[in-house]
Amino acid sequence: MNIYNRTVALEELPSGSRARIVEIMGRGGWIYRLYQMGLTPGVIVDVVLNIGRGPVIIRVMGVEIAIGRGIARRIIVEPINT
Amino acid sequence: MSRSTHKKEYEIAIIGQPNVGKSTLFNILTGRKAHVANWPGVTVEVHEGETYFNGNKIRLVDLPGIYGFSTLSLEERIARNYILSGRPDAVIVLVDSLNPERTMYLAIQALEMTGKVVIGFTKSDAAHAHGIHINYDLISKRLGVPVVPVSAATLRGIRSLLRSAIDVARGKAGRKKPFRIDYGELEPYVSSIESLLKQYEERLEYPIRWMALRLLEGDDDLYKYVRGVCGEDIAEEIARIREEVKKIFRRDPAELLAKKRFEYLQRILGDAIVRLEIKKGCFERFTRLFYRPFVGPVLSLTILLGMFMIAFTINTGFPLNILLDSLGMHDAASAVEEYSIGGLMEKLFSWISSWIINSFGESWLTDLVANGIISGVGSVLIFLPLIMIVSLFLAILEDSGIAPRMAVSLHGPLSKIGVSGHAIFPMTMSLGCNVPAILATRAIPSRSERLRLLMTLPFIPCQARLVVILAFASSLVSGYGALLVVLGYSAAFLAFAVVNKILYTYEKRKTGGKEPEIVLELPPIHRPLGKVLWWHVWDNSKHFLKKAGTIIFSLSILIWFLVNVSPGIALTDNPGESIAAVISHYLSPIVYPIGIEPGKAWIIAFALLIGFIAKEAVVETLTILTGTSSAQQALILLGLTASQLAALTVFVVLYVPCIATIAVIYSESRSVRHTLATIALMLGIAYVAMLITYGLSLII
Repeated sequence: MNIYNRTVALEELPSGSRARIVEIMGRGGWIYRLYQMGLTPGVIVDVVLNIGRGPVIIRVMGVEIAIGRGIARRIIVEPINT
Repeated sequence: MSRSTHKKEYEIAIIGQPNVGKSTLFNILTGRKAHVANWPGVTVEVHEGETYFNGNKIRLVDLPGIYGFSTLSLEERIARNYILSGRPDAVIVLVDSLNPERTMYLAIQALEMTGKVVIGFTKSDAAHAHGIHINYDLISKRLGVPVVPVSAATLRGIRSLLRSAIDVARGKAGRKKPFRIDYGELEPYVSSIESLLKQYEERLEYPIRWMALRLLEGDDDLYKYVRGVCGEDIAEEIARIREEVKKIFRRDPAELLAKKRFEYLQRILGDAIVRLEIKKGCFERFTRLFYRPFVGPVLSLTILLGMFMIAFTINTGFPLNILLDSLGMHDAASAVEEYSIGGLMEKLFSWISSWIINSFGESWLTDLVANGIISGVGSVLIFLPLIMIVSLFLAILEDSGIAPRMAVSLHGPLSKIGVSGHAIFPMTMSLGCNVPAILATRAIPSRSERLRLLMTLPFIPCQARLVVILAFASSLVSGYGALLVVLGYSAAFLAFAVVNKILYTYEKRKTGGKEPEIVLELPPIHRPLGKVLWWHVWDNSKHFLKKAGTIIFSLSILIWFLVNVSPGIALTDNPGESIAAVISHYLSPIVYPIGIEPGKAWIIAFALLIGFIAKEAVVETLTILTGTSSAQQALILLGLTASQLAALTVFVVLYVPCIATIAVIYSESRSVRHTLATIALMLGIAYVAMLITYGLSLII
């Protein structure tokens, strides 16, 4: 089965879910900041809070990070069942 | 070589990611005797301090907090160039014990540049409480450099950190060569670039492998440098290898390398760190409130407003006095006002003034000292307690980790005017002083947003302008005084919002600009360290006292002379004949439209002119010009109507804050055009807003 069938944007994940980053789309300075903060493909993120508007709060490597929705839309993830 | 291994003086750099506790540790190491170093061509603040250890002199260089060594920001570029320059004898990289996996990223990158590294694990006292146990020796063995746990709270490990740094500087510890990470399937490409560069090794200033890695990551600055040294052919070959990696792996090489580094860290740290499950504190639930729509922004604004209310009340009695007054408790209200810190200090200064005149007799000299210097400096100094209290509150928000939550909560409302949540830090700082606020815009990732903020942040009233607003308010009946303060701040934030919105809309139409975005780390909420809070308060107070002691002091003397000396260089008792009057007669017409008669207009015009240098000076100019001891008396003497005061308040709040702000806008934008445009914008908006306020107040 192709894993790409199960991918969604980070923006769409509900609070409390866990996912693995598949791809970060787009370019520009943002992307390098995300890499430096540990957001690279393969890394597991926990969605701490996503209330459907405003920044998505995630946890990566033990650190909470607020990510604007525009950017969260471009982070493609594969949900992990917990 | 002069740099012998036995020299007694060492230069040691300190770097770390944001929030790892770098500034705190730097201050402890240097005993708070740091100064801002003047680095040529660099506007980023680099602090340097000295300390002695076992008879060695150590010069510590505090580099800005960065996440990595790309050339993403000016800060990253400066830190990188400094480390590569060979100047530092050792580099201390600070890593947060509470999240080592992430913050080690900077350390591993530093290790790829130089072997002269010491790793300090900060907050080691808190690590145990958080259930984190770290095997420092194991990490040290794997990386080949000293690893030292330190704590700013308990001072554990401070001496051992310095000892290790000196060992590294002397070559007794640390690595001889930079650290090599195995990049796996990318290695062939890295070594191809390496062998291309090897031929030019003599002429290249940086470590070959590091250069190869950075070139693969797509470092434009370095690419240009290599093209300059090795020529077009080599540069093209390198670009071709990069393209090949992109094609084969279908990924940005920067992403691949970052991923490899984190994986490598995982291998090194994996069995060296043990985490025990910890329970979530009650703070956790409280902080979630910030992220809720509506509740979050309201909570943040309430905190900010509450902070300022408490600070104002302690200092000036306002707004508690008005509340008590309206409840019919007139005695209590006037007591609050009289025994506020500001009220007591004002009494003290006017007592000193009259004591000088009474004991030394009336002469031009006693007049200069009593009515020039003491009342001038005094009228500004009474605001010191306010500045201390406000700095304390801001320090608590920052050090506790509440500030970034507020940034997230206000991101939504702010993005409507094209500003991201990141802007909340410079915006809040602006309420204290515009100069550091403008420097703080560097952390804003979007360049266009930053340029817009450089233009609009000065609208936000700093404490100097608060001094003027409160002075104006003091001459009104208390209820109206409160309204004046509200008016001043509303006008300022309205101007900030409207101008931002216009610039943003214009930019969007022209370039199809993007929505403001936010990527912000949220450090765990914790109780702030007492000493760190005190440092913040003391730094701000020191800055203010220095200003009062130098600029305000000299201005007081200058203004006294301009006001008491006639153009024919003779003492005069009539300010109307003074040099100041002559200069400002040309400017007086600017305040005619708000109905100020020519006889008084020059006094106002002169005060506004002096206000260009520093806003506090508006108040002292008015007191000196009218020969009174407080702004309240000065304004009553001038007989301005409430409408005129309102119009003037709006003007004072919105026009160019001070010379220092203009200077920093220039140094940050590096553009005369941008700076002049900002000045013109502020003057224009301030003037129009003044006329509108006057017109509206007449109708009401």
